[in-house]
Amino acid sequence: MSDIRCAELRFEYPGGVRALDGVNMSIRAGERVAIVGQNGSGKTTLVRHFNGLLRPTSGTVTVGDADSSRTRVAQLAASVALAFQDPDKQIFAGSVESEVAFGARNLGRRGQDLSDAVEGALESVGLGGEKRTNPYDLGYSRRKLLTIASVLAMNTPIVVLDEPTTGQDLRGVRIIEAIVKQLGNDGRTVIAVSHDLRFVAENFERVVVMRQGKIVTDGPPEQVFAEESWPTLRSTNLEPPYAATVGARLGLGSTPTLASVVEALES
Amino acid sequence: MLALERVSYRYPGAPRLALRDFTLTLNDGEVVGVVGASESGKSTLALVCSGLAPRSIGGSLTGRLLVDGDDMQGRPMHEMAAHIGICFQNPTSQLSQVAATVFEEVAFGPLNLGLDRLEVARRTTSALEKLGIGSLAERDPERLSGGQMQLVAVAGLLAMDPRHLVLDEPTAQLDPAGKRLVADSLASLARSGTALLIAEHDTDLLAGLCSRVVVLDTGAIAYEGLTPEVLADERLTEFGIEPPSDVALRREVESAGLHLDLPA
Amino acid sequence: MVTAAAAVVLGGVFWPLVIVLGAVLIPASIAGVLPTLLRYSILFSLPIAISALLVNLFFFPGGQTILFQIGPISATAEGLSFAIEILCRIAAFSGAITLFYLTTKPTELVLDLERRGVSPRLAFVANASVQTVPAMAERAQQIVAAQRARGLDTEGSVWRRFRGLVPIVGPVVLGSITEVEERSMALEARGFTRPGKRSLLWFPPDSPLQRIFRWLLVVGLGAIVAARAAGLI
Repeated sequence: MSDIRCAELRFEYPGGVRALDGVNMSIRAGERVAIVGQNGSGKTTLVRHFNGLLRPTSGTVTVGDADSSRTRVAQLAASVALAFQDPDKQIFAGSVESEVAFGARNLGRRGQDLSDAVEGALESVGLGGEKRTNPYDLGYSRRKLLTIASVLAMNTPIVVLDEPTTGQDLRGVRIIEAIVKQLGNDGRTVIAVSHDLRFVAENFERVVVMRQGKIVTDGPPEQVFAEESWPTLRSTNLEPPYAATVGARLGLGSTPTLASVVEALES
Repeated sequence: MLALERVSYRYPGAPRLALRDFTLTLNDGEVVGVVGASESGKSTLALVCSGLAPRSIGGSLTGRLLVDGDDMQGRPMHEMAAHIGICFQNPTSQLSQVAATVFEEVAFGPLNLGLDRLEVARRTTSALEKLGIGSLAERDPERLSGGQMQLVAVAGLLAMDPRHLVLDEPTAQLDPAGKRLVADSLASLARSGTALLIAEHDTDLLAGLCSRVVVLDTGAIAYEGLTPEVLADERLTEFGIEPPSDVALRREVESAGLHLDLPA
Repeated sequence: MVTAAAAVVLGGVFWPLVIVLGAVLIPASIAGVLPTLLRYSILFSLPIAISALLVNLFFFPGGQTILFQIGPISATAEGLSFAIEILCRIAAFSGAITLFYLTTKPTELVLDLERRGVSPRLAFVANASVQTVPAMAERAQQIVAAQRARGLDTEGSVWRRFRGLVPIVGPVVLGSITEVEERSMALEARGFTRPGKRSLLWFPPDSPLQRIFRWLLVVGLGAIVAARAAGLI
């Protein structure tokens, strides 16, 4: 099983912008982690180190046994599949089916094995009936689900989703929540970068908050969204999810999720 | 005042109508929200209101679009632009790319109208001030944050002096700070008299801005009314829309048989 | 400055180009771009300069005075003097073009043209096209990253990398088209399609002195050509 470990990770973009300033963290196999922070905090830069797209300026990133700076991205992709935020910067195939098959095919799957993977992925995003459709005949939110399906079909132990709920309607968000849950049940690691703190609080067991290239808080939602942590959140320009604010107003303790509010009221 | 009377629209070569028998009035200074699942017609509505459909993208339109009682049929796009502005969700693709500063970017529209330089400068300054971005005037528009870029886009539209603005998911691609920036600016814009029609998924945002909300479903109005009633209505989720946070919480609590008493 | 450079280019028809170089190097140091100018123009003209030198040095027809020999081929003095002439022209030519390129901002050039009557829409296209290149390059970079994340091998064999072009070129083109569509709608919504002239906020200033200078250059060029034709120089 693959852990991800970052030790003293520093990264500077050419031009001198320091995007990561000494990140130390590890993600255990099977964890569901959300990485949050405002634009420019380093969250996207961090996850691009997990599959070797970016290599540390100093420090190390290890995925399982592999040192990311010594492994080809195409090889790391067999362990870590990363779905980018903008579907229109990925989609190239003429049919939904071939688009979803792209990643899995790159990893060497063929024949029945490949079509099963594609079928399964399409079902989980609700595009099962659109195999032959041209991706550009789908609306934006379904194109986004398509790119997530493509990553799911790669069947990697670690899945990284970059802003999966941005631009999604209710149905799209529910589908993504179901996917996160299913991946967790299957023992796969899910890492999501997201602005949507409600989505984060409701679906992830661990929240990593970043600011200016450093991790400022790292823990379960109950801790990260508790009232004591609000000053830290606000210093990164984030607001706690609504459920947490209600819990605080009613003196119910830390209630990051809707269910936790109900639970607190019941007791 | 902007009025759509029984408007239907079909995209060029499309089998179905994207907008069906749509009737809506947007009064001066009003802020009206439009919600609906993806592909329910929100973007189409925005394109029709602005005049881009059918003038720029083709397709066929039936029904009437009226501004202050005048039928806009056949009026060219640059005339429409003086009445109704349209803001899209992608901040970068609205930049002209030929302006070195925000000031020049915002001035782009009035310059197209061939107005004299003093008038252009007056309108540009006024638009920047209305949105509170006067301090960005000398900045390179390509180097701004998403939220700031959206405000520049809106300023660019305001400089055309329209009395109505249509916004198609203006905050969809912004981070929370950007969303708040744009929401606050839109609120103050509405207070200064511009009528706004905002299509959004984010019902929390609309709850704070709009007096009325229209719910779209497959191109037609499913139901409409005053904001609090529409957003608290149980049918909202059936139409694929996430209710605002407070409504969602209340529902969750009440379905467990409990009661939520929020102090003011 | 624009027309000055052009005139210099056209004026390169005879040997005393060394003088003409003065019209390149001196303005360059005034504009503060001398080091960059030297770097770029030498870089660009190097291949052609070297080949011109070698060809003429060794293979100049009718070359009599032999300077030295390498194996069967010999370098001639006549060839050398002709080669030097050519090098001077190349230097003036590339120097002038580089000067033009370094001292003119595309936006200013376009605004100036628009002021003099070029259609605003054409001017816009010229201006925006310059900006498109870096935007497209950035888009291409992001697309490459996204495809690599799905296992596209860009570090393997040449053949694999070649096959990898389709998943990159596709979205670059499609995405650029989509962005162009969105941008053109946004621009139309700001009155871009109104027929007639646009106003201009500002345009590059043009003093009488500059105008006189430009005319002098054109006249001087004409005189040089005439004198050359008449066999005077």
